[in-house]
Amino acid sequence: MPARDVRRTIDAVWKLESARIIAGLTRMVHDVGRAEELAQDALVAALEQWPESGVPDNPGAWLTAIAKRRAIDHIRRSQRLERKHEQLAHELEQQQAPARDDVLRLMFLSCHPVLPTEARVALTLRLLGGLTAEEIARAFLVNEQRIARRVAGAKRTLAGKRVPFELPDDSELTERLSSVLGVIYLIFNEGYSATSGDDLIRPGLCLEALRLGRMLAQLAPYEAEVHGLVALMEIQASRSATRIGPSGEPVQLHEQNRGRWDQLLIRRGFTAMLRARQIGGAPGRYVLEAAIAVCHAQARTAEDTDWAKITALYEALARLLPTPVVQLNRAVALGMAQGPQAGLALVDSLAADRTLQDYHLLPGVRGDLLARLGRYGEARLEFERAASLTRNVAERAFLHRRADEIAVTGTSEVTLAEAVQGFLGRGDLDAGTIRSYGQTLRRLRLTLGDRMPLASLTSDQVAEVFATAWGEAAAKTWNRHRSAVRSFGAWASLGHLAAGLDRRPEPPSRTEAIGAAQLKALWSRPGLPLRERVLWRLLHESAAGVTAVLSLNVENLDLDDRRARVGGTWVNWRSETARLLPLLVGGRTQGPLFLADRRPGPSRMPAEADLCPETGRRRLSYARAEYLFKGATKSLDPAGNGYTLRQLKLCFDTRTGMNP
Amino acid sequence: MRYLMTTKASDTVPDESLYIEMGKFVEELTAAGVLLATGGLEPGGVRVTSSGEEITVTDGPFTEAKEAVAGFALVEVRSKEEVIELARRFREIVGDGESVIQQVFGP
Repeated sequence: MPARDVRRTIDAVWKLESARIIAGLTRMVHDVGRAEELAQDALVAALEQWPESGVPDNPGAWLTAIAKRRAIDHIRRSQRLERKHEQLAHELEQQQAPARDDVLRLMFLSCHPVLPTEARVALTLRLLGGLTAEEIARAFLVNEQRIARRVAGAKRTLAGKRVPFELPDDSELTERLSSVLGVIYLIFNEGYSATSGDDLIRPGLCLEALRLGRMLAQLAPYEAEVHGLVALMEIQASRSATRIGPSGEPVQLHEQNRGRWDQLLIRRGFTAMLRARQIGGAPGRYVLEAAIAVCHAQARTAEDTDWAKITALYEALARLLPTPVVQLNRAVALGMAQGPQAGLALVDSLAADRTLQDYHLLPGVRGDLLARLGRYGEARLEFERAASLTRNVAERAFLHRRADEIAVTGTSEVTLAEAVQGFLGRGDLDAGTIRSYGQTLRRLRLTLGDRMPLASLTSDQVAEVFATAWGEAAAKTWNRHRSAVRSFGAWASLGHLAAGLDRRPEPPSRTEAIGAAQLKALWSRPGLPLRERVLWRLLHESAAGVTAVLSLNVENLDLDDRRARVGGTWVNWRSETARLLPLLVGGRTQGPLFLADRRPGPSRMPAEADLCPETGRRRLSYARAEYLFKGATKSLDPAGNGYTLRQLKLCFDTRTGMNP
Repeated sequence: MRYLMTTKASDTVPDESLYIEMGKFVEELTAAGVLLATGGLEPGGVRVTSSGEEITVTDGPFTEAKEAVAGFALVEVRSKEEVIELARRFREIVGDGESVIQQVFGP
């Protein structure tokens, strides 16, 4: 293995093992700083030896063994002990507590409240995640020296204050745990919505936080808030791919393509949430925030979002955590649930809060609400203010663009045409959606007039347009146009726009019976192969499932009673099948009734039950039967596609038991 | 980044200690937040092939059983080296045979 690859392997092994190694050493030497140095010694030893000797069979165990030996040497030196190395090793082995608790202790230690928050974050990534100072510095876009100093300072503080390597007792558990959760969530958020720099997401940090959270959930499985945090992070991470548009701009939740949300992570989030609920107790902040994330994940479209429930959850959260940021989010939810005016009232009550005065999301949210109220001049100013406050480049560009968009349409009274253009021209809709929405809205514009003021548009007018244009259309078409109006209404803050349009039930299946004339033509067609004729007649007369009919065996047929047993049920047929069946059976006494044309090749031998013992041919497959029927009925089908076997069976009239 | 590790069927007859070792390994990876999903696959399965307009559905088992995938693990790791290290540990537990690691893109 080339030296470069060995170094990479060592790095990978180190990142997987370092938390456990450092935790174990900390218990031995009672000093996390010393423990990390000893572990680093083992790492250096690996870097020296592995390129020569090759990677050992169990690299993790190798590192652990070397680190332990160094630790014992250290203890002997510092305590001037006369005892032999082996004896001391044995004694230390005796005091072994379960290793998994060691890692949990290490987590509590590196997130200890005596440390400043930044130091907690750096130390956690360093000790639990195995990241180097350089990697941490790169993730947080700060100087490497600063991170190194931060880590060193944290270790000194822990040693100086003699913070014990212990699990917190019950009296301080809540506070200590919330510090650990806070650090993990901070790491996640720095990755998920980078506060500065060019990129909006730094996936590496999200992954580190997710791993830390999942690890903690295993180590402290009886804490609802731990599972709440994991649920929150999994569900937020499920949207990573859709949060950023093609040119790096943020895409807001209600405009994201939900089809691309990562269902695996959503399901993991739901599972974590379920665990949190099973533990019970009064929901904490992470469980509440996760519940909000669950609401969003459950809404199949943005319009389906249960904003009333989300508002209630934010109210509960605000009681627990009355920070201005939570209040701001509550205002957004309220603006969706009860309209922009209600949201704006809450936002304005926050404007006096000093902690929010430089927070770019406040003018961002306010601008959004103002735009929805038609107060474009004010909205534009707010977006520009928000742009000047954010430190993130992609977000700033996005906010500038929102301000510019308003400048274009920012007359005192927006017309229907302008609103439609704004709605379709947002830049985040895909071509198919634009075409589909465009059709609906063009009809509205043509009927109601381009110059109609948007504010005067009512649901009655929309309902009239619909009744005229699509009253007779298929339910699916109607519903498609309806959802276009709903989406437009939500965007334009005219949520009532589709109030006069009821969703129409769509038929469960597109499958339709074959017309009587077509059937007649099929039956009277000359030259149909016997097998096809029997199969089709049998399906038609019995209305049994295609799979069931194809699985019939000769030995199961009761020709006299015109029936056969298959699975747990009977297939019954009538005169035409009864006339044809003996011809198809011929001299056969057993095996599949419907056989393929050819014998199977040696590499494609079917199961014994699907092989005719007399002819050596295999059972006719559904796919082949379907293909033949489609081909034969192509000329009969007005659509030119040919029919399916299922359609044949549907011709059976269930009310009378008669075929047309 | 995500990787899918698939493991081909082997002649080794699993004994109880292998199950215990595997259980521990799976638990450890789950605890480390690395393992997203894992499972074993039925031998054979159903093969669906299309050629032109024709779709052929063939029930297994197939002759080239040795090439068939017997199990999978979907993991989320920091680097390719990390997944290789995990695969190495896995192979150590299960004995002779072959696994394939591929990066997963999307969704």
